[in-house]
Parts: sequence; structure tokens; C-alpha cells
Amino acid sequence: MTTDNRITLRIDDREVRARPGTVVLEAAIEAGIYIPYLCYHPGMKPYAACRMCMVQEEVEVEVERDGQKVKEKQLRPVSASCTMPVREGLVVRSANDALRNLQRGVMEMLLSEHPHGCLTCHRVELCGPEDICLRHVAVNDRCVFCPKNERCELKDSVRFLGMDLLSPLSYKTRGLELEAADPFYDRDYNLCIVCARCVRVCEEVRGDNAITFVERAGKALVGTSRGSSLLESGCEFCGACLDVCPVGALVEREHKWDKAVRVSRAVCPNCSVGCQLNLEVNRREKLIRAIPELNAPANRGQACYKGKFGLEFVNHQERLKRPLVRRDGLLQEATWEEALAYIAERMPAYRGAGFAALASARTSNEGAYLLQKFARAVMGSNSVDVDSNTRPALARALEQPLGYAAATNTLWELEQSGCILVVDANLTEEHNVAGVPIKRGVRKGARLIVIDTREVELTRYAHLWLRPRPGTTLSLLGGILREILESGLEDKEFLAAKVGGLVELWAALDPYTLEVVAEATGVPMAQIREAARTYADADSGAIVYALDNVAPLEQAAQVHALADLALATGNLGKPSSGLYPLVRGANAQGSADVGAAPDLLPGYQRTEDEAARSRLEERWGVRLPVEAGLGLAEALHAAASGSVKAMLLLGDSASYTSGELQDGYEALERLELLVVHDAFLGQAAQRAHVVLPATTFAEEEGTYTNLERRVQLSPRALSPRNSEARPAWQVLCQLAQRLGAKGFEFSSAAGVFDEVASVAPIYSGISHGRLVREAVYTLRPDPRNPLPTQLVHSDRVSRGLLWPCPDAVRAGAPVLYADGFPGGQARLMPLPEPSVLSATPGEFPFTFVPGRVLAQEERDVAVERVGGVNHIRRDERVEMHPMDATDLGLSAGDAVEVTAAGARLRGIVELRESQHRGVVSMTTLFGELATRLQASEDPDPMARVPLLSIRPARVEKGVR
Amino acid sequence: MLSEGVTLRAAIRQVLQSHRDGAATILSSLLALEDALGYIPPEGIEEVAELTHTTTNDVWGVASFYPNFRFDPPCEHTIEVCWGPTCHLLGAPAVVKEVLDALGLANEGDTPDRSITFKFNTCLGACAQAPVMALDHHLYGRLTPRAARGRVEALKGSPAHRR
Repeated sequence: MTTDNRITLRIDDREVRARPGTVVLEAAIEAGIYIPYLCYHPGMKPYAACRMCMVQEEVEVEVERDGQKVKEKQLRPVSASCTMPVREGLVVRSANDALRNLQRGVMEMLLSEHPHGCLTCHRVELCGPEDICLRHVAVNDRCVFCPKNERCELKDSVRFLGMDLLSPLSYKTRGLELEAADPFYDRDYNLCIVCARCVRVCEEVRGDNAITFVERAGKALVGTSRGSSLLESGCEFCGACLDVCPVGALVEREHKWDKAVRVSRAVCPNCSVGCQLNLEVNRREKLIRAIPELNAPANRGQACYKGKFGLEFVNHQERLKRPLVRRDGLLQEATWEEALAYIAERMPAYRGAGFAALASARTSNEGAYLLQKFARAVMGSNSVDVDSNTRPALARALEQPLGYAAATNTLWELEQSGCILVVDANLTEEHNVAGVPIKRGVRKGARLIVIDTREVELTRYAHLWLRPRPGTTLSLLGGILREILESGLEDKEFLAAKVGGLVELWAALDPYTLEVVAEATGVPMAQIREAARTYADADSGAIVYALDNVAPLEQAAQVHALADLALATGNLGKPSSGLYPLVRGANAQGSADVGAAPDLLPGYQRTEDEAARSRLEERWGVRLPVEAGLGLAEALHAAASGSVKAMLLLGDSASYTSGELQDGYEALERLELLVVHDAFLGQAAQRAHVVLPATTFAEEEGTYTNLERRVQLSPRALSPRNSEARPAWQVLCQLAQRLGAKGFEFSSAAGVFDEVASVAPIYSGISHGRLVREAVYTLRPDPRNPLPTQLVHSDRVSRGLLWPCPDAVRAGAPVLYADGFPGGQARLMPLPEPSVLSATPGEFPFTFVPGRVLAQEERDVAVERVGGVNHIRRDERVEMHPMDATDLGLSAGDAVEVTAAGARLRGIVELRESQHRGVVSMTTLFGELATRLQASEDPDPMARVPLLSIRPARVEKGVR
Repeated sequence: MLSEGVTLRAAIRQVLQSHRDGAATILSSLLALEDALGYIPPEGIEEVAELTHTTTNDVWGVASFYPNFRFDPPCEHTIEVCWGPTCHLLGAPAVVKEVLDALGLANEGDTPDRSITFKFNTCLGACAQAPVMALDHHLYGRLTPRAARGRVEALKGSPAHRR
């Protein structure tokens, strides 16, 4: 956009323009000039370890020759271009013989420890696995047997440098065993060139420090503390190290040997962060790898265990290929014709309030839009929701105080925040990549306050961890709010100019005195004061929240309290501040945007809004129901009680059994007509009358809106063979047409989206065409030059468009409310009376608080290898208050059994004075979960990662 | 075993506690532990990570870099023979050979009965007395191979060295 501040330099006689603050290597990469490099990687600080990217600066000096002063060009000593800053007028040479010889020398050293028989052989492209090698290169040493063969950066560099056949072929064999007992990764350190990319990405980008350099000099390699398993070293299995590894040392175990024939971009379907992934596809149309896109705005080259290793469901053999219709009580294969006819015959009987529809967390905007249109225009029911929307207030409760039901700022602004408040959220497991800018922010000096009863990964990084008694977060927030106002820490100017409702809020905060709040929450007064001061004093304060374990009736109030905090301190409408509701489900935000909500028409227009409704009625040509329909929880309840008789579900949902709703599947069983459009015969589909095979995110084109309001296009990456699966938008069109409805004559997802844009004002300026058009070229590769393989994926990246996007010219606002609030003023919401916790004696007198972290430094962990797989073996500790222990006749070190909502856990008593009375907590290791997920038989285990839910429990003496 | 682990951890914490007053770095903490215990147990790595707000991996990265740290308990006695330039010129190789022979070892390491640890040292700081060796940190200079063997044989049966 702004090219005016660019610097001009010359690399090898080519004029190159570069951004100030970058280095020569980056300028060269951007200009398509290839300088070989192995340790540099975009997104990390230059390291200058591999000594491959050497260049020379050319300077003009005055010399005296024959008594005359003449200007002469001279070359300065060589230096690494990855640490050489660009500057105006700089002249650099990267391709002379001296440099090439130097680079070859360096490469020879690297090859002295890397199998290189094939690397330097002219037949490297010609040989296949079965060929006989005339040079007797051992089978294990051949490039064709390296999992990274076609994407090896070392190979690129070797070929670029024109390395000769090295004779003899001997190299130092490290003789190390393949590390393949940990989940998801295969690590072969015999191939490692010690470039430190993995160690650096783990530390610098992810903030985990799960791997390090061990030993030194000739023995230096990458490893963990005392050679321990990754399960105990603090690894979050995000795969960042795999993504940056230039050689075959670190690879994904699944499809390790598969070669990609094609790479396609997609938006990850596993949470609402909206990571763009490069999907590698093999010649059998299988998805073999997912590599996060470096230039994607939401993830910046990062992914997580769910994105890297949780997409295997796409290839699963249990995928539904053909429709199923229940005949004689059994689901039997049928044609689409039969299935649609079956539905068309029965569906009309349930027009009106007896019908409900649920989109899945992964339904695209197009699918969700047509689902709500189908429910409203065809079935006359407003009962439409998203099946992951178990906490409807999460974003929606922001509408009343602020105006929009969405996050106010973009994710990576968190990196620059002065203070980040994380409330009842387990980011590392549920919105992993959103935690990356937070951890990086903390490294840069941001203060991190975590409010959570559970011990989660971010508490390790927190400056202040407030641990309220379960269920008292709202009181704690009230206390902090009151403390801010009472100490005069509020932003008076902001309040006076832009915010109303201060008097009412003051009145409502009356009972939230420090003493009362400290007593109710069990959080010391000093900590409440410090939290208030830290958040209010920061230049920019951001609030990230997920409402984990917040009672349904308190959820809206808690969101209001958080909005009040942001408003009172003026932390809205400016960068790096605001509120981030961590909406659940990849496209839960987008689905609500396009109207898949019981009280909302597309674009957050109320169903009761006469004007909006009649506009839509005119557009759709039908009468629309007025009253709000049933949301997810109510719809399931109504199905159980019999008032909803027919349902259309797009996909299955972990919410049906997460405990946040009652047993959803039981409710589905009572329906007279259940139609499920899903990729698998899941629990919901098994109860259905008709099951329609669905395509997955990878097989359909669609847009997804992430939690920062970013609408991103996910193109079709795979064309499955021998499958009749269809995308949701197409199925809904066909179904509606069979039911005689008009307005469903779409031939593409792009067409559907155009209608969305025409009826939802916030999407007005967005279209598939614009999303494709406005992709930015981040690299202009020169076809004559080889490229670092992993950069090939980064040629053209769509940055998506943020809503509200009013027209086809302007981009959406990264910061909401920068120009004021839609209603003129924001509104401080009064808090309800602090709720009084009543003890619940009886069967479950305790509250069980689970926690899960990456590592517990102070605890001994044993790792046992069973069947070639590492498992964590240790005694879990059940933390409880000494007085509770006395009451139960327990003392420290006793074995106990905790029974919580059906689950039975064993542990050893640990007494903690700081523990709340009546609470027992247990913090397990993420590594355990990773092993479980890896071994899971579930076709889609990542969609069902168990939540850390706080539950009533019983504690009994156990046996050791 | 558990109780032993607990007391070891308590000892580590005490060492690190008294060390904390200074500028505690990973390296200085590890040195304090090595000085106090003669080696760095796994619990020591964990506690140093806690103290320095890093991870065990970071601590291990530093610890494994320096060959002078050991990670299992040392033997009852330690023999260090200097093989710095001065000692080398004045006869250290013969002394090394003789000592190794007396101990039944081929290189640096512990005797099978775990009574004596043998280490090379790059300079014991007593070049004027070369060749030099240190038995349990006591220096002996102007050694001949025979004298060295005598010292080692005498050390073999002597009571364990107390730190």
C-alpha cells in the first residue's frame, strides 16, 4: 500500500525496493533473488548461524593512481545477509566466485554429517526407490527414502551451489535412534543440520521452550532436558518446529512418506481463530499435510495440534458417501433422489414452530445463510442456531452495551497490548493460536492477568493469577470494577464523551465492596487492587474471555461486567485493547452474522424489526415469522418435550454431550423427523430418519468468519472420488426447490454469498471475487531460480476482509468503535446483585476443578513406553484445604478417589492452605491428552477434545 | 526412595535459597549445586528452572554444554590429572597412563566399584609444580609416574572424602 517509505538498494545489479527495518536477505527474497539460506526463517529473528547467506557490500573508494585520484569499486568483507540491514543506496553482491566457494565450503561441512550420496548426485531426480545405485549409496542414506525429499531446503541449496560429487561418500553417522514414541511427530536427529530453527520457533514464537540445544561443539544437537519425552518437556504439539525444519529431521508421522502433487489453501475448521492452512494433497486426492500459511493475517504461520493433526477426518474411510434413509427401522443406502423425495414428502407437515434447524460449528457462511433462509422462508420457523453455540451470550451480550456482537479488535494487536486480561478461558487447548500473540506480548512487557479457578497453560505466564472460588468470577469482576471507579482509575474523559449509564452502574456496584468480594471469591484484597490498577493503568488493555464454567444465567452479566471494565478504562476504539469473545466453533461468528440465530435476520437485524423484516420479505418473496425462535438449548429442550417435532442438522456436535446442555442425543431420539447432513454416521446421524453425506471444509468452497470478524475464503482443495457428498448450500437449495420454494436457484457458493452481501449490511462490500482479487502477492518468485521449498506456499495470500465492510472499495475496520459507537453512546451495564453461593451438601459436597498444563517443572514425571508409545505415569495430586482433609479423615499423601459427573479419578492428597474450602483441584499434563488424541479411534477426535469443566464431586479415601 | 527424593529436594532448595541473594543465573545456580552436592540431580534441574523462571529444557541446555557438570553422584574420591601444556611437557602423559592403569580405566570415568572418579583437568593452576594432580582437591606436584601410582593406591582404601 505505502511504497513511498521504501528504501532502494541494489542486489547483483538489480534495483530492489525494501521496507525499512528489514534485512538484505528479506529484500532479496521479496525481489525473487535467491540467496541460499538455511537458518533464516521469516517471522523469527535473524540468527546468522548457518553462514550460507553470505554477501559482500560493494563500496566506491577514492584511490590514488599515477598521482591522480580515481574512484574504484571495492568489495567489503563477507557478511551474512540475514543480519545486514537494508539502507538507501546499499550495493550488494551475492553471486561471485569467492562467495560461491565460501558457501560450498560451508555446505561441505554440513554434508559431512548429513547423508549426501544422493544430494550431490546428478541422478537425484531420476532415481526411484527400487533403483540400484552404482555408487552403492546405502538404502537408508538415499534421498528417495527421506520423508522431506521433495521439500528439502538443504537439497535446494546443494543444487543451487552446484556441489560436485563428493568423494568419498563417507559422512559422520550419528547412529541415533528415530524418536517416534511421542504423539504426532517423528524426529530423526541423524538428519539434523543444527540450524536452530526449531529451537528458536519454540522459544521465540511459541514461548514454550520445549526443546533446546544440548551438549556442545561436535556433539551439539537438538533435544530436551535429560533426553525426556516431549510429553513432559512442555510441548504443545503445535507442529511449529516441523513447519520450519529445512530437512527431514522433523516430520509429521501421518502420511510421512506421501508426496504432495498439489497445495491448496484452506481455513482451518477446528476453532474460530481462522488459521489459513496450506493443504498438501497427494495423487490419490488425499489430504496429507497441513502447513500453516506464513502470511495469513490470523495465524501468521502458526497452527496448533488441532490444525496440524486434526484434519485426518477428511480422509477417513468411514466418511459417508451416499445418502441413507431409514426403512424398516434401519438406515439404508439410497440415492439422493430417494432421500430428497423422502424428506420433501414429510417435511411440510412440520412447518412453523414445530421445526428447528441447527448449523454446525463448521458450516460455512453460505451454508448457514441458506439454512436460516430455509428455516424461515420455507419452514416458517425462526428456530435456527449453531450447534456449538452453548454460550449464546458470549458475543451477543456485547451488542447492548457497545453495538456489535463481535470482537472489537484483531488478534495480533494483542502482541502490543499493555495489559491482557484473560478470563475463564483455556486458550492453549481451545483457541490455541490466539494464545501466541498473548505470550509474545508478555515477552515484550505486557502484563498478563489470568482470572480462572483452573490452572491452565497461560497461568504460567501470568503476572497475576486470580483464582476465585468456582462460580464467583462475576463478583470478582464487580470488585475490580468498583475498585477502579473508587480509586479514580477510570478514563473520565472517555466516559464523559462516549459512555452513558455511570450513575446506574455506581448504584449497582454498591454491594461489591472489596471486603465483600474478597470474602465471596476467596481472592485476597491486595490481588483485587493490583488487578484493578494494572488493567486501568495500562496504555492499552485487552480482555480475552470464553465464559468457561460460567453458569448460564450469569453469562450475560459477566460479559456486561467485562464490557464495563473496558468502557470505564477507555479501552475501546483504539488498537491493542477492546474485548475478544472466544466464540466456539470455526464459523460460529459467521453463522450468527448471516442470521443463523433464533432472533436475528442476516446482519444482526432483529426478527421483530418491522422494517428489516419487510425488506427481507420483499426480497425473498415470502412472509416471515416474527417472534424469535428457539436457540440451541431451547430447541433441544423442546425436542425432548415434544414441541419441536422435526429438525434439520448440519453436522454432529460435541456440545450434545459436553454437559453444558442436557443429553442432546436423547432429545433427538424423540423427533418425528430428523434429517442430518454430516460427513460421518455420528451419534446424531445414527438417530436420524435421513442422513445426507456432507462434504468437508476441504471439499467445498466457502467463506468463514473468524472471531476477529475476518471473512476468509476457503477454496475447494480436494475432489473426493467415489463419493456423492454435497456441500450444505447445495443440499439446501435442492431441498427447498423440492418443497416448491423460490429464491434457492444458486449455482455456486459465490452466488449465495452475493445474496448475503445484499441483505446483510455488515457484509455489503464483501464478495468471493473481492476476496480473491485482494489477495496480496507476498513473493514474486523468479522461475529461473530455485526457491526455498517452504516459501513456495506463500505466493498469494488473501488477508480476508473484516466486517463491517460497507462497500466494495473500503476495507473493514480492524478496530471497532474508533469513530464512536453506533448508538452515539456506549452504555455501562449495571451488574446484578452478587449471587450468594449455597453449599450443596448431599451426594456431591465438593467442587472438582480440573486443570491442564504443558509442564510442571516441580513434579517428577515418569514416561513409560507401552507398545512403542510413550505414556505419562505419575501420581496425580488432589489439592485440598487442610480442614476439608481433616473432616474426611485424610492427610497429605493419602490416596483418594474423586467422583465427578460419572468420571472417577485417583490421586494423592496434597494439602494447600490457599485452596478454597469445598474445592478439590487436580492439574494434569497436556501430554496425556496428546497421547490419547493420537490413539483415538474417533474419526474426528480434535472436534471432541474434552473441556476442562468444573463439576460437583465426591471425595473418598482410595486405595493405593 | 520417595523420602530420599524429598530430602534431596529440600537440600537443593536450601542451596539455591542461599544462592538466591546474588544475581541468580542458570549457570551460577548450577555451579552452586555442583559445589554443594558434587553433581546435579534431575531435581536440581527442575528447581533451577523454577528459580530462574525458565524451563528444564533451558537449564539442561546450559548444563549439558559444560563438561564439568556431572549428573550422577560422584564416587567417594576424585582424581584429577592436569594435562595442560606445562604438565604435558613435563611428563603428564606418563602420569595419566600410570594412574589410569592403577585404576583399571581406559579413559575419564568412574571405577567399576564407584570408589574413584578420574577426570582430566586443563589446568590446576600450579604450573611451577608440574606435572600436577589433585586427589580430592588436594594438589600433589612434581609427580613421577611411580609417585602418582603410590598416591592413587593409598587413596584406594582411604575413607570417603567429605565435602
